[in-house]
Amino acid sequence: MHCWSKFLSLTGSAVLTLIAVSLSASGQTSSDKAFGQYLSSECVTCHQPTGQYQGIPSIVGWPEATFVEIMDEYRSKKRENPIMQTIAGRLSQEEVAALAAYFGSLSPPAGGSPTKESQKRRRRQ
Amino acid sequence: MKTTRRQFLGGIGTAALAGAFPMPALAQAKPKLVVIGGGPGGATVAKYVAKDSNGAVEVTLVEPATQFTTCFHSNLYLGGFRSFESITHAYDKLVSKYGIRHARQMAQAIDREKRTVRLANGTNLAYDRLLVAPGIDLKFDSVPGYSEAASQKMPHAWKAGPQTQLLRRQLNALKDGDVIVMIAPPNPYRCPPGPYERISMMAHVLKAKGHKKARIVVIDPKPNFSKQALFMEGWQKHYPGMIEWQDPKMHGGIKGVDVKTMTVNTDLASYKAALVNVIPAQMAGKIARDAGLTNDSGWCAIDATSMKSAVDANIYIVGDASIAGDMPKSGFSANSQAKVAALMIRGELTKSATFPARYTNTCWSLIETDDTVKVGGRYEPKDGKIAAVETFISKTGESADLRKQTQVENMGWYAGITADIFT
Repeated sequence: MHCWSKFLSLTGSAVLTLIAVSLSASGQTSSDKAFGQYLSSECVTCHQPTGQYQGIPSIVGWPEATFVEIMDEYRSKKRENPIMQTIAGRLSQEEVAALAAYFGSLSPPAGGSPTKESQKRRRRQ
Repeated sequence: MKTTRRQFLGGIGTAALAGAFPMPALAQAKPKLVVIGGGPGGATVAKYVAKDSNGAVEVTLVEPATQFTTCFHSNLYLGGFRSFESITHAYDKLVSKYGIRHARQMAQAIDREKRTVRLANGTNLAYDRLLVAPGIDLKFDSVPGYSEAASQKMPHAWKAGPQTQLLRRQLNALKDGDVIVMIAPPNPYRCPPGPYERISMMAHVLKAKGHKKARIVVIDPKPNFSKQALFMEGWQKHYPGMIEWQDPKMHGGIKGVDVKTMTVNTDLASYKAALVNVIPAQMAGKIARDAGLTNDSGWCAIDATSMKSAVDANIYIVGDASIAGDMPKSGFSANSQAKVAALMIRGELTKSATFPARYTNTCWSLIETDDTVKVGGRYEPKDGKIAAVETFISKTGESADLRKQTQVENMGWYAGITADIFT
């Protein structure tokens, strides 16, 4: 994965700050926490922010690199779900990173990182 | 749905009461958002403005009912896949968690000059911004012989609640060989694949009961319909010979219904049925029409970049009542539009940051147990309307595994969106 790996090892808030800087430098809208929050509002129509699984995989508490990798796979259509292909296709890398930081900062249910079961589910979809 | 009118104050939770009423000076300092309608559009706007402004905006939800039964998945209730309770959601968390004031009243009129909303009990609510999300009204007279009174015998069930329960009772009471006739609605209407998912659920119930002579006739004013190839394939596969869909060329035109004799008349034939489901033409809810927010089409024109009314800068409109370009009238669309409107309203009232509007929608339809299809897309403002940027639809001939997974996704989406709207 390109130059992102180093970037993604940073903490969520640092990522968001960096994104804000990089985006304003490139003339786009500022991407502060509010932007990440607005972007996330699209995701939580299906993916519950509490991390609860009721048929759609939880996306909270993931390592940021995993989040970005999976979104990249939807973008390149390696993963098949057309809804996620459509969503991922319109997100810039900066936006994906902001979302990775935002959802990564939320706690998964019952503590800890994603369970093996939810990892498996994620891989399937 | 419960529509008893209570005292305005009766609907306000203690948490909200403490913050909203005590000192007029304090209350006046806060900008006021009034939201008319507690469906997926209105309730989502109320929640997101209250949540994301951290109490900086005073939000009042005007909605007579204490709970909301979703139209989405009401077909699954009809088919026996869900309970009525599971598609019904209380508003109490919006009050207790976010401090939203719940005015349990019908909104009777909007005074756009004075920026007030008059409630059924005579109270006037002042607003700085108004969100209008009244959903649809039915044009009962679009089908000759049909009326609101007639819907007690020939239910429309196009607003979820007692009508949906009535339709299910009628469906479950059918005997083998009884005829069902549905009159489908003309465009544009709430939930484009909805009538055809409903047909599928009716067929599922009859098949599951072992009926061998069941006959379902769909009289459609449209030459084609949403997900047509997918439904046709599914009907052929699961319910061969049971469903007969007629476009205008086949029936020649809908002449009307006779409620007394339970008859549906078209130009070419007359059908005596045990169950008649009439889904009439539709228009924006009355309060939007009365306030002059609709155009000649009967729907509300909006600015595609914000969901703001095209005719009033203090009013936003989301959901089925709006003219949302390429977006279908759906709960998902309303929820998506609501997030854009909430962002823009907060921007105007609290100077918070705003970002370019983006919209999404997906509609799942259950055809038979574990056989679900979907259609959806993403949308952006373009040339003055909300335009589809990319769309997708399930394919015919998909594997049973994929269709089953799509149903799991459908149920997961329902859990997610209702949590997003009501909790």
